[in-house]
Amino acid sequence: MPDNIEYKKKEIPGSVEKIGWILLGLGVILGAVAFLVDSSRAFFTYLITFMFVLSVAVGALFIVALEYLAGADWSVPFRRIPEFFAGAIPFLALLVIPLLFGFHDLFHWTHTEDVEADKILQGKTPYLNEVFFIIRTVFCIGVWYIFYRLFTRNSRKQDETGDQLLTRKNITLSAIFIPVFAVTITIAAVDWLMTLEPHWFSTIFGIYFFSGSMIATLAAITLTAVLLKEKGYLHPKITNEHFYSLGALMFAFVNFWAYIAFSQYMLIWYADLPETTFWFLQRWEGPMMYISIGLIFVHFVIPYFGLVSLPSKTDPKRLKIMSVWLLFAHGLNLYWLIMPTYFSGKEVPVITWMDFTFPLIAIALFIIIFVIHAKKFNLMPVRDPKLRKGLDFHL
Amino acid sequence: MSKILYGYTALFDSPDGIMAAAQKTADDGFTKFDVHTPYPVHGMDKAMKVKPSKLGFVTLFFGLLGGALAMLFMYWTMAVDYPMVIGGKPLFPLPAFGPVTFEVIVLAATLSTVAAMIALFFYLPQNNHPLHDTDYMKNVSSDKYGLCIEAGDPLFDEKKVKTFLDAAGGKNITPIYNPDPVKYPLLQPRFLSVLLVVALSVSGLTYFTLNKLMYMPPFDWMSEQEKLTPQRTYRLFEDGYGMRMPVQGTVARGFMPYPYRDQPVLEEEGLANPLLATEEVLTLGKNKYNTFCSPCHGDHGDGDSRLRGYFPNPPSLHTPRAREWSDGQIYHVLTVGQNVMASYEPYTTREERWAIVHYIRALQRAKNASDADIQLVRSDNNAR
Amino acid sequence: MNAVDYTKEPPVVEGRPALADIDEMVARPLDERPTKKFYIALSITLTMLLIGAVSLGYTLFYGIGMWGNNQPVGWGFDIINFVFWVGIGHAGTLISAILFLLRQKWRTGIARFAEAMTIFAVMTAGLFPLIHTGRVWLAGYLFPYPNQHHLWVNFTSPLVWDVFAVSTYLTVSFVFWYVGLIPDFATLRDRTKSTVKKVIYSVCSLGWRHSARHWQHYEKAYMLLAGFATPLVLSVHTIVSFDFAVSIIPGWHTTIFPPYFVAGAIFSGFAMVVKILIFVRKVFDLEDIITINHFEKMNKIILVTGLMVGYAYAMEFFIAWYSGVNAELFVFINRALGPYAWSYWIMVSCNVVFPQLFWFKKIRRSIPAMFVIALLVNVGMWFERFVIIVTSLHRDFLPSSWGMYIPTLTDFGILIGSFGLFFTLLLLFTKTLPVVSISEVKAVVDGSQPSRHGGETHE
Repeated sequence: MPDNIEYKKKEIPGSVEKIGWILLGLGVILGAVAFLVDSSRAFFTYLITFMFVLSVAVGALFIVALEYLAGADWSVPFRRIPEFFAGAIPFLALLVIPLLFGFHDLFHWTHTEDVEADKILQGKTPYLNEVFFIIRTVFCIGVWYIFYRLFTRNSRKQDETGDQLLTRKNITLSAIFIPVFAVTITIAAVDWLMTLEPHWFSTIFGIYFFSGSMIATLAAITLTAVLLKEKGYLHPKITNEHFYSLGALMFAFVNFWAYIAFSQYMLIWYADLPETTFWFLQRWEGPMMYISIGLIFVHFVIPYFGLVSLPSKTDPKRLKIMSVWLLFAHGLNLYWLIMPTYFSGKEVPVITWMDFTFPLIAIALFIIIFVIHAKKFNLMPVRDPKLRKGLDFHL
Repeated sequence: MSKILYGYTALFDSPDGIMAAAQKTADDGFTKFDVHTPYPVHGMDKAMKVKPSKLGFVTLFFGLLGGALAMLFMYWTMAVDYPMVIGGKPLFPLPAFGPVTFEVIVLAATLSTVAAMIALFFYLPQNNHPLHDTDYMKNVSSDKYGLCIEAGDPLFDEKKVKTFLDAAGGKNITPIYNPDPVKYPLLQPRFLSVLLVVALSVSGLTYFTLNKLMYMPPFDWMSEQEKLTPQRTYRLFEDGYGMRMPVQGTVARGFMPYPYRDQPVLEEEGLANPLLATEEVLTLGKNKYNTFCSPCHGDHGDGDSRLRGYFPNPPSLHTPRAREWSDGQIYHVLTVGQNVMASYEPYTTREERWAIVHYIRALQRAKNASDADIQLVRSDNNAR
Repeated sequence: MNAVDYTKEPPVVEGRPALADIDEMVARPLDERPTKKFYIALSITLTMLLIGAVSLGYTLFYGIGMWGNNQPVGWGFDIINFVFWVGIGHAGTLISAILFLLRQKWRTGIARFAEAMTIFAVMTAGLFPLIHTGRVWLAGYLFPYPNQHHLWVNFTSPLVWDVFAVSTYLTVSFVFWYVGLIPDFATLRDRTKSTVKKVIYSVCSLGWRHSARHWQHYEKAYMLLAGFATPLVLSVHTIVSFDFAVSIIPGWHTTIFPPYFVAGAIFSGFAMVVKILIFVRKVFDLEDIITINHFEKMNKIILVTGLMVGYAYAMEFFIAWYSGVNAELFVFINRALGPYAWSYWIMVSCNVVFPQLFWFKKIRRSIPAMFVIALLVNVGMWFERFVIIVTSLHRDFLPSSWGMYIPTLTDFGILIGSFGLFFTLLLLFTKTLPVVSISEVKAVVDGSQPSRHGGETHE
C-alpha cells in the first residue's frame, strides 16, 4: 500500500463559477442573435466552437490514456485536470444538436439536386448521406462517453480505496482506447471538416486534426495547471520543474503539427493536381491569404521560439502566455479549415463580431465543467500508487 | 623535487560523498578544482557552482548560418547561375527548398556543436595531461569518484589542501606532478619521408584514376556505344554514312510553300502582307532590319552604310521606284534575293520577313512625310 | 493477483552489479579471443557478402541490365532494398534520441547497439541509390557540383533531397554514436593492459578525463544532438517518402506517406533490434543489462507502430475510394486482387495481423514468439516496399505499357549481399567496441545518483 500523501482540498471560490455562467449566458444570447442575423454564417462559426470543444474534450481523454500507457510519473499530480476537461464529452451530444439543423448550409453534399448532377459526389453517397453521418456522429460521441465514464470511475474509486488494481485496469483500458480513439477522431475530422469540401480529400487529414487538437488540449491543461498552482490549489511539492514535461510536450506537438501541415501542403503543392490544389487555392483568395500566412507564424514560428529553450518550459509566466497563445492558434487553425468553404464565391468580411461570440460558450463551458468537477472530486488523485513518484519528480 | 606540482587528488566511494565534498570545496572559495566521475552525476554542476553551458549558442548560430547559406546557395544555382523552370514551379520554390535547408541546418548545427565542444570547451585532445596514466584516473574511470584541487588555485596551500581533503572524507590523497615536456621536431627525416610517400601516392593514384582508369572498360562503355553518331561511319547502312537524308517528299514542320520562287521580280499583286502593323510587329521588324538589312542598306534605308564603296552600292530604299513597289515585291526580294543580294529565307522566318516589310514601309513614310503625317505626329506627342 | 507494484520503478539494470563489474561485463568480449561460434557466424555473413559482391561486380561490369528492372517498372529491388535498410536504421536513432528526450532510462542498455545498427543499416542503404545510378564512379555529381555544362543538381528533386538526407543522417548518427563512445574509450584506455590497444583507445578517447566540468558540456551536447537527431530521423524517412509521394503516380501520391513511412521505419527497425539483441544478450551474457523488460517495451512499440501502419493502409484504401479518382481506386484494387496480390497479403498479414499477438503479455515476454513475429515484421516491411513500388508501376496509365516485374538472380544476390554486409559489420562491431554504453548504464544503476537527486539511498 502506498503511504498516504497529505492533501488538503482547497475549494475553488464560487465567483469563478459565477463568471462561467455569466460568460455562458452572454455567449448563448449573442449566439442566438447571430443565428437570427445570418444563420448561414452562424452555422460555420458555431462549427468552429463545436470542433474546439470536441478537440479539447476528447484530446484530454487521450492524454489521460497516453499517460497511463506510457507509465509517466510526472503527470500523475496533474491527471485530474484532463479528467475534468474530458467531462465536456457528454455535452458534445448537446452541442451537436444545433449543427444538425445546419446541414444544408454546411454541407454541399446534402444538396440532392447538385449531387445528382455530379458524378463524383454520386459515387460518394454510400458514405456521404445524412443518416450514416448521424450514425457515425452518435457512435463517436457514444464511444468517447463510455471510455470517459470507465476511466474516471476507476480513477475516482482509487481516491477512496487506493487499490493498485484500478491503475492496472485503466492501463488495459488505455491500450484499448488508443486505437479506438485513432479511428473515431479520424471519423470526426473527416466528417465535420473534410466533407465541408466534398470533392477534396487528403489521407493525412485525420492526423492533421489530431496534431492540432493535442496542442489545444495540452495548452488548456498547462494553463489550468499554472493558474491552479499560482493560486495554491495544487500540492506544495509541485514545483516549476513539473511543468517541464507539459512545456516539452507542447513544443513537441507544435513541431509535429508543423511537420504534418508541411507534408500535406508540400505534396499537394508539388503534384499540382487540380482535384486537390483547389482547397489550398481557396485559402489563398483575398484576405484569406493573410490568414494562411499568419497561421504559419501563429501556429508554428512564434510558439516554436517561445518554447524552444529549457527555461521557457519551466517558467510559469511564459507557459501561461504560450498556452493562451496556442489555444488561440488552434481556434485560428479551425477557422482556417472551416471558413473558406463559407467564403467561396462570396464578398463578405473575413472577420465579424460573430467570430468572437461563440468562443465565449466554449470558454464558459470549460470553466463551469471544471469548477463543478473540482467541487465534487479531489484536484489530485490522492491515492494513486504513482503519486509519490510524481510529486518527487526532478529534472 | 624537480617536478612541478599539478594538484592534489582524493578518491570518494559514493556519489553522496563526492557531492558533499564538491559543495564544500566550492563553498570554501576554490575555483581551480575539478571532480572526476565515471558517469555524469546529477546536480554536480550546481554543487560545483559552474555556470550553465553556453554550448547552445554555438548550435543556434551555426544552425541558422547553415540554413541561410543553404537557402542562398540553392537560390543562386537555381535562379541566378543557371535559371531553369522545373515542373512549372517558380525559380524560387520555397517548399521544395525546405528539405535541403533543414538537412543542412541539422548537419551544420551538429558538427559545429561537437567540434566546438571538443576543441573550444574541452581543449581536447590533451593526451599529455598530468592526470592521465595515474592510479587516480584508473579509479575514476571505473567506479570511484575523484576530487582534484589544482596547484594553480589562488587559495592553494599544500598542507591545508591535504587536511581539507582528509576532512572532506577523501581517501588515497595523492599529489600529481606535471609530466616533462616532450618535443616533436617538424624536420625529422622519418616524418618527412612519410609525408613524401603520402603525397606521391595520393597524386599518383589521382592521376591514374582520372587519366587512365576512366578510359578502360567498363568505364568507357558509355562513350563507345552501338549507336548512330553524326559525322561518323555507321556499319548498318551500305554507303557507311551515319547521317541520312530525309525521305523524299519530307516536309518540315510549319513549312509553307512559296509558289513565286522562280520568277525574277514579282510583278503582279499576288502577295499581301498577312500581318498588321502593330507595335509588336514593327518592333520585330526593326530588330530584324537592323540585324540583316542595315549592314548594307543603312540604319534608315538610305543605302549609306559603312560598306558603301566596297560592293556595288546598295540602293536607297527611298527612291520612287522602291516606294512604288508593292509589299509583295519587297517580300519576294527578301525571300529569293535580287542581283547581289542573297536570299534571306534561311535566316528569317516568314513572319519576320513580313515584319521587315512593315518596317521598311514605316521608314519610307517617315523619310517622305506629308504635312498630314507631321500634324498627326505632333498632335500625338502633345497628347502624351 | 496484482503483479506490478506501481509505487516503485522496476530497476533498469537487474541484480545491482557493482560499477566495476559493468566494466568487466561489457569489456570482456573485447579482451577475449573470438570463439569458434564467432568465426562460424562470421564465415556465414562473409559468404553472403561475397555473393553480394560478385552480383554487384557483374552489375557494375555489364550494367544494370542484369537486373529485372524494365519499362514500366523502372524501380525494383534497388529502391526496395534502399527504403528497407534506411527504415531499419530508424529504430536506432529513435532509441538513442527520442527515448533520451523522453527520459526513458531503459534505453541505456540497448542504445549503443541500436545506434551501431543505425549506422550499418544506413551504410548498407546508401549503397543502393549509388548502384541504382548505374555508373557508380560518377556518383560525385549527386552533390551540388556543376557538370561540364555548368548545370547544377536540381534542388527541387526529391532524389537530391535524399542525397542530403541520407548523408546528413549517416554523419549525424555517426557523430552521435562517437560522442557516446568517448567516455567508454577512456574507461577502456584506463583498464587495458595491451599497449597497442592503449594507443588506439587513447586516440579515440580524445584525452577524455571524466571531468565534471566536461560532463556538463557533454550532457548539454548530448541533449542538443538528441534534439536534432529526433526531427532528423523524421525528416529522413519523410524525404524517402517524398521520392514517391511528390509524383503523380496513383498509389504513390498520397498525403499520409510521410508519417506512414516514418511509423513503418520504426516498426521494422524495432523488429530488427529485437531479433539481434536476442542473440547479443545470450552470447555476451548481458542478461542483467538487457532484460526481458526491455524486450517487452520494444514489443509494445512494435505493436503501436504496427497499428499506425495498419491505420495508414486503411486510410489509403478508404480515400482511394472516397476520392472518386478511378486510377487511384484501380491501383488499390489491383494491389489486393491483381497479379501481385500475394505480396500484398504477405504485407498485410505480417505487418498488421501477426503483431496483434503482442496484445498478450505472455507473447510479449516470450523470446521464441517475439523472434518469429519480429522476423515476420521484417519480411512484411520488405514486402510493403515491394508492393508500393512494383504494383504502382507495373500498371502504367496506358494498358499498352503494362508489364510485369521479375527479379533476376543478380537482384537476389545483391539482396543477400546487403544482409551479409550489415551482419558482418555488426559482428565486427561486437568484437571491437563496447556493445553497451558503460557510462550510461553506470548512471542508471541503483544507488549511482546522489540521494536527493532522484536516486535511491546508497547503503
